[in-house]
Amino acid sequence: MSPVATSSVKRDLGLVAWQVRYEQRAYWRNRGRGIFTFVFPLMFLVIFASLNKGAHISSRGGIAYDAFFVPGILAYGVIATTFVNMAISTAILRDQGVLKRMQGTPLPRWAYVAARIGSTVIIVLSMTAVTVALGVVAYGVHLRASTLPGLIATLVLGTAAFTALGIGITRFIPNAEAAPVVVNLVILPLTFISSIWFPPTGMPKALIEIAKIFPIRALADGLEYAFDPRTLGSGLNGQDLRTLAIWTAVGVFLMIRFLRQPQGEVR
Amino acid sequence: MTTTQTQTNELAIEVRALRRSYGDVEAVRGVSFEVARGEVFCLLGPNGAGKTTIVEILEGYRTRSGGETRVLGMDPARGQRELRERVGIVLQQCGVQSDLTVTELLEMYGRYHARRRSVDELLELVELREKRDVRARNLSGGQLRRLDLALALVGDPDLVFLDEPTTGFDPGARRQAWSTIRSLCDLGKTVFLTTHYMDEAQHLANRVAVMNEGRIIAMGRPEELGGRDLRPAEIRFSLPPAWSLGDLPDVPCDERALDGDRVLLLTKQPVLAAQRITTWALDHDVDLGHFSVSQPTLEDIYLELTGSGEENQSAPAEEVVR
Repeated sequence: MSPVATSSVKRDLGLVAWQVRYEQRAYWRNRGRGIFTFVFPLMFLVIFASLNKGAHISSRGGIAYDAFFVPGILAYGVIATTFVNMAISTAILRDQGVLKRMQGTPLPRWAYVAARIGSTVIIVLSMTAVTVALGVVAYGVHLRASTLPGLIATLVLGTAAFTALGIGITRFIPNAEAAPVVVNLVILPLTFISSIWFPPTGMPKALIEIAKIFPIRALADGLEYAFDPRTLGSGLNGQDLRTLAIWTAVGVFLMIRFLRQPQGEVR
Repeated sequence: MTTTQTQTNELAIEVRALRRSYGDVEAVRGVSFEVARGEVFCLLGPNGAGKTTIVEILEGYRTRSGGETRVLGMDPARGQRELRERVGIVLQQCGVQSDLTVTELLEMYGRYHARRRSVDELLELVELREKRDVRARNLSGGQLRRLDLALALVGDPDLVFLDEPTTGFDPGARRQAWSTIRSLCDLGKTVFLTTHYMDEAQHLANRVAVMNEGRIIAMGRPEELGGRDLRPAEIRFSLPPAWSLGDLPDVPCDERALDGDRVLLLTKQPVLAAQRITTWALDHDVDLGHFSVSQPTLEDIYLELTGSGEENQSAPAEEVVR
């Protein structure tokens, strides 16, 4: 690569870092969005854990409900900060014309998208840190070094899949007001059959099979596996990771299709 | 400025036989014009005339169905970064990241450009200094429009596109915006403006192209448009009841008419005609009411050209006649 090209790539990466700072400021300043995506999952964690205090899950070898629920809520937190946040904020940016404005600036489109994703990763990391810390301190969750590879791999693939899907689904959201409705319509029913809130004990087999197609169950299951005190080895759940990888591919495909649409054209 | 002698490389914009269809609808039907560097060029026309389609093709937001376009020597359809570095855009109704403050937005967008203007200078130019730490969501509509303009200028562009920059402004805010836009010309910028306000075109533009139904129907300096400078002037006054049209002195005029007590004279020699009439009135002690001399306004010409006068009082005309 020529020195000129190298310096321009360097400058563009600098622009990505620059843009991440402003995306972060905008995210944490908007209380409504912060509550919807960051505080909700933590609130559910506290409520559900209190409701089921002292309960044990026989289907999981009698582990404490809290220890089951923390990974589930972490999965929900990842989905809220990636998929929900991305879909709603992208729909708003599109409707307000911010995407169009960005397209008219010299900032390359890839750099802007990279910055939005980078900012989302920071939010996911914060969410993970808070949830796990709360789980360890208050709910007797054990973070084990041996299953850390499984935990990290699941989180990375889950974040990738749900971030890409969040951007990609914006194409199917007619306007910003509809965004929270569309997003919850997609997410909420699936969370109930994907053992986010309670274990799938007694759930019809058909529902479990349907849940297995979608990435929510894969993310929750992968995280539960990594956190489960009975798990031996590195905590990598091949089937869950495979499902997440497939959905990442689907997400990236939809994301690119959305990003290729010129913002000026009449939709 | 001599637009007739300009070389290709001195042209900011070249458009030849530009066409754009949306399905069966032809929004732009073969439009050609050139804009010289340093010129303020205005596309004037009613809503739906095709102005925004043209400006968005030039900005690189829309594709063309046919014809040629060059902006600063480049094809906007290719979306080159080099072009985006040198062009400033004020779109119609275009939001910003509303949780960031005015200063933050100017800093953020400024960094995208290799060449940029200082935040203080921009705040000064659009008179937003007092609002520098206010989040965009808390700005008024007029303040947001001024922020829009500041953001368009953040990269010190050679060419600025302004798509209906003062729509929805109160008269005071419009005057203020006009003076800011005029200061762009003093900085040597080329300005491409669209508007449906005649007075805006008249105040700001070196040249105006009047559009209607996807075509340019007249083009020229605002004072010459549609042969405006060659039209007869109108002298109007009211005559007291004791006097009639025949009592008036001999004045050079093309036409004279009486409607009730209101007299209308059309003349190509307004100074001489006015002098004869006023001298006659003073000599005979006649009290002429509401005496006025006027040239046909750009608005008259515009309504005539676009056919949105009395015979065609359709919906868009209401907005046009302001």
